[in-house]
Amino acid sequence: MKPLDPKLLRYAAPARGYVLLTTAFGIITAALVIAQALLIAAALAPVISDGATLRDVAGRLGWLAAVVAARAVVNGLQERFAHRAATRVVADLREKVVLRAAELGPRWLSSGRGTDVVTLATRGLDDLEPYLVRYLPQLLLAVTVTPAALVVVLGLDWISALIITVTIPLVPLFMILVGQLTQSYSQHRLLVMARLGAQVLDLLAGLATLRAFGREKGPVARVRELGEAYTRSTMSTLRVAFLSGMVLELLTTLSVALVAVGIGLRLVHGDIGLETGLAVLVLAPEVYLPIRQIGVQFHASTDGITAAQRAFDVLDEALPMSGTIPAPDLARTPITFDGLSVVAPGRLAVAPSNLSATIHPGRVVALVGPSGSGKSTAVLALLGLLTPDEGRVRAGDLDLATIDRSTWWSQIAWLPQRSALPPGTVREALAADPLAPPSEEVLARAMRLTGLDDVVAHLPRGLDTALGQGGLGLSVGQRQRVALTAALLGDQPLVVLDEPTAHLDALAEDQVLATINELRVAGRTVLVVAHRPALVALADDVIEVRSASTESMVTS
Amino acid sequence: MSRWTRWRQDPLRRAVALLDIDRRHAAGAVGLGVLALGSAIALAAVSAWLIARASQMPPVLTLSVATVAVRAFGISRGVFRYLERLASHAVALRGMASLRTRIYADLAAGRIESVAALRRGDLLARVGADVDTVGDVVVRGLLPAAVATVLGAGSVALICAVHAGTGIALALCLVLAGIVGPWLAARGASTTEKRSAQARSDLAAISLDIIDNAAALTVSGMLETRRKALREADARLAAATDSGARTSGLASAVAVLATGLAVLTALVLAIPSVTNGSLSPVSLAVVVLTPLAVFEITQVLPAAAIQVHRSREAATRIMALLDAAAAGEPAAPDDTVAPPAATSLVASGLVCGWPGQPPTLSGLDLTLTPGRSVALVGPSGTGKTTALLTLAGLIPSRGGSLLLDGRPTARISHDQAAGSVVFTAEDAHVFNTSILENLRVARGSVTEAEAVGVLHRAGLGGWLAQLPEGVHTRLGADASSISGGERRRLLLARALCSPAPILLVDEPAEHLDPVTADALLTDLLTLGKSSLEATTQSQRAVVVATHRLSALAAADEVIVIDSGVVRARGTHAELLAADPAYRQAVAGEDQLV
Repeated sequence: MKPLDPKLLRYAAPARGYVLLTTAFGIITAALVIAQALLIAAALAPVISDGATLRDVAGRLGWLAAVVAARAVVNGLQERFAHRAATRVVADLREKVVLRAAELGPRWLSSGRGTDVVTLATRGLDDLEPYLVRYLPQLLLAVTVTPAALVVVLGLDWISALIITVTIPLVPLFMILVGQLTQSYSQHRLLVMARLGAQVLDLLAGLATLRAFGREKGPVARVRELGEAYTRSTMSTLRVAFLSGMVLELLTTLSVALVAVGIGLRLVHGDIGLETGLAVLVLAPEVYLPIRQIGVQFHASTDGITAAQRAFDVLDEALPMSGTIPAPDLARTPITFDGLSVVAPGRLAVAPSNLSATIHPGRVVALVGPSGSGKSTAVLALLGLLTPDEGRVRAGDLDLATIDRSTWWSQIAWLPQRSALPPGTVREALAADPLAPPSEEVLARAMRLTGLDDVVAHLPRGLDTALGQGGLGLSVGQRQRVALTAALLGDQPLVVLDEPTAHLDALAEDQVLATINELRVAGRTVLVVAHRPALVALADDVIEVRSASTESMVTS
Repeated sequence: MSRWTRWRQDPLRRAVALLDIDRRHAAGAVGLGVLALGSAIALAAVSAWLIARASQMPPVLTLSVATVAVRAFGISRGVFRYLERLASHAVALRGMASLRTRIYADLAAGRIESVAALRRGDLLARVGADVDTVGDVVVRGLLPAAVATVLGAGSVALICAVHAGTGIALALCLVLAGIVGPWLAARGASTTEKRSAQARSDLAAISLDIIDNAAALTVSGMLETRRKALREADARLAAATDSGARTSGLASAVAVLATGLAVLTALVLAIPSVTNGSLSPVSLAVVVLTPLAVFEITQVLPAAAIQVHRSREAATRIMALLDAAAAGEPAAPDDTVAPPAATSLVASGLVCGWPGQPPTLSGLDLTLTPGRSVALVGPSGTGKTTALLTLAGLIPSRGGSLLLDGRPTARISHDQAAGSVVFTAEDAHVFNTSILENLRVARGSVTEAEAVGVLHRAGLGGWLAQLPEGVHTRLGADASSISGGERRRLLLARALCSPAPILLVDEPAEHLDPVTADALLTDLLTLGKSSLEATTQSQRAVVVATHRLSALAAADEVIVIDSGVVRARGTHAELLAADPAYRQAVAGEDQLV
């Protein structure tokens, strides 16, 4: 875990400008901090030693006022731009992560990474904000203010500079030592804490179930016990975790104290002047301030660094290769499964196993097989959304792996088990080409076939009802009908339907059948993943998909 | 509304009250905080004195107390700070434990709708995070504010004692840094939050949509429109953040300005006093340099103010949840003696619906006696689930009568009703514990042998045999480690473990392939007829809500619900003969592939 990962600058363009700006502010701040210390000392010393009056030091006070005003302005600007930059960096990373995840395909997403990405995109990346707004500026101040102030102290009084120079490396050294001592301990503890917290949430999540069994009262005591255990285990973690903070405070405060005592004793002997002594006294804490702030902000920043790391992990993931050859016309080209095998993740099974079959243009083809035999997986392979472990998908003589995916997809209308609708009205969702919308007559006929007319009749504004994001407000079945109608109205040569009856009520099956018939009449190829006999009966060809255990793959 | 009422009703105040904080512990934490930051201020003051006095070259012995004190303060600050952090976290953690217990207890006793709502979206995860956020107000908000108040007053008093004018100037600057700055910071944060809320939820929805439908969007080429939508929402978020950031920037400027001003005014006010002899030169160093350290106490206050604001938002959600659970709590039932479990449930003209919403089903007549099996069928959204919830007494009936062994269910306590009628929801929770413990949710006394028996009965024998740890296998968070079919069968097994004579099961076959679905439905509809040796249970009544019809020959009666009323009823065979729509629906799914 790096305090400032170069990947952040590489992946998030807005971070680059922000780091530059903050560095510039850091340099200005360093100059102002030093000027402030020198001016305070220069204003105080003559009054204390030589009985100077306000008039004598008025010029210096004027400069001091200017420095104070400048520091306020720089600080305000830094804060203002920090928030602005943080939002932009987070937005930039979010967009990249979400789109990359989408490009990585369904297999990658279903391996549990999908929910991770959603959490990361909706909440996780927001943790970068405290990192960027609070931690990063202090980090940059530590490489500007700290060395600059130290150099000035050196010029004023080398003994004080020596004390500071000796203690500064001790700060990270002790932090690392304490950190390493506590890390394994804390990690174990964090696991325990997470588990205890999850148990309480688990009980809350299951409250409805507990109530259904009339057993909701018992766990109150359990929740209390868990809370006490959580407190105990957290406190024992904190006792260790806060040690590093104590070491930091101890070292920095003690060394400031030592510098002060040292100056005092040398002043008595007249080894240094009062003005020098005062300047060093004011500057010494400023040397340590950024380092201390890093310590204070450290815990707030770790979440952000972790979130960024997780984003980089997604962005570093290699994209599946897409070919470059334009796809052949699917209205004339047969598609062949050629010994297709895909290992099912998390199961000791190959599904589909050694699937070989051909889908001829213009025919209705049913893909059948028991649950888990790999029907949907075969469809994903055909769509080029996952790479088979063995065998290939061919279009005519071309291997799908060599074909440019976008030219492939533009010829396919695919209805997955859950359809996505474009934002906009129902009418817009149905129009394949917004410039050439279907006539009302064609539209009405298509909607009657799929049963969408019933759905639309119940919508507040009919066809012009806005669907909202992702077709919210429509049930899965209703969305399927919209997608089915859109497929019917479209002109893609191949229509792929995945379990089209799964979410419709049984009564609606005739509508699906009628739609498929209509597609056949239009000369379009239909590949349908089917459970129901009526669908299979309708098909011209039936492809049976089988799964096998993983051993069979080794031998095959 | 008076200020007092507003204060009484402030959700953060109410939530903090529920933390049940021990005053002595809180005072201890504040005390340690005062000692820690007080050490830093004392270090600055004594150092200033030491250096100014030393420059007058007195005998070294006169400085010895000061040099020892400076070193001592250098050490005590870190030590007290460590103790203070531990003390304040202990206070907060104990408070959070109390609040969690209170939330659980209130929801367990409260209205069912608020409990059901917990499952929706990320509300649950938010409750967890909200409790933490309310707890944070103690560590990051209230205690630092108390420490700052004590030390601010103390420092002002100290400086006033040396030089009154400077002390008053310090007080004004402290108000600027400790009240005006934090107020601005909180305002900036809340402006950003308010203006960005919509953009944030849009962003979350679009991101979720893209990930959920990644494949479909990629193939259909709609990904590009989603990318644009995401960009636009991000741009709105950026604009909203900018408006708040201006105020935040001002807050930050004010804090720095206040420190500088305090030093500057101290110089301007105190130097003439030195010149006219009313203030010693050494004291001048003290009144000028001490403020530099004093402002450390206000440094955390902007963050504290933002924390108070955030915690208030979190508290508002928690209190709303608790208020909703408490509102209109059912009147205490008039039965105090627990009768044996009822065996018959009779509904006549029953009207079902969620409280506060229009009824979804009316005119339901149903008689359940041991051994009887009934299927409720109809398209999704027709109120099957609501009917089952009403029959189980989990939501109040909206009309008609519902008698459990001849007594109105409204007058029977929830515990007793649950002992007689058990409802298994489609999305019933599988707890993150062992299989056996999950079964014991239904009845605490389930033995290992009984568990094995009941799992076999639910068709999980083969699955169980594959598990090295058998019924002691842990099931991961919300059963993520088992398949959908196994999960449904496990829920069924759990329902079977319940001693209740009446079982209500919602959509047991949803999302299963037809063979599995029909086998499960048939099992379920016939299990009530035979007595279960494992649970020494006599016959049971079973009601199943389903929209799969093929296996319903096993049911004694099928009730077809459509558009909020009972459209037809009879045995599977009767309906096939008399109801064309039913016949057509069954034909659509009849034979299996």
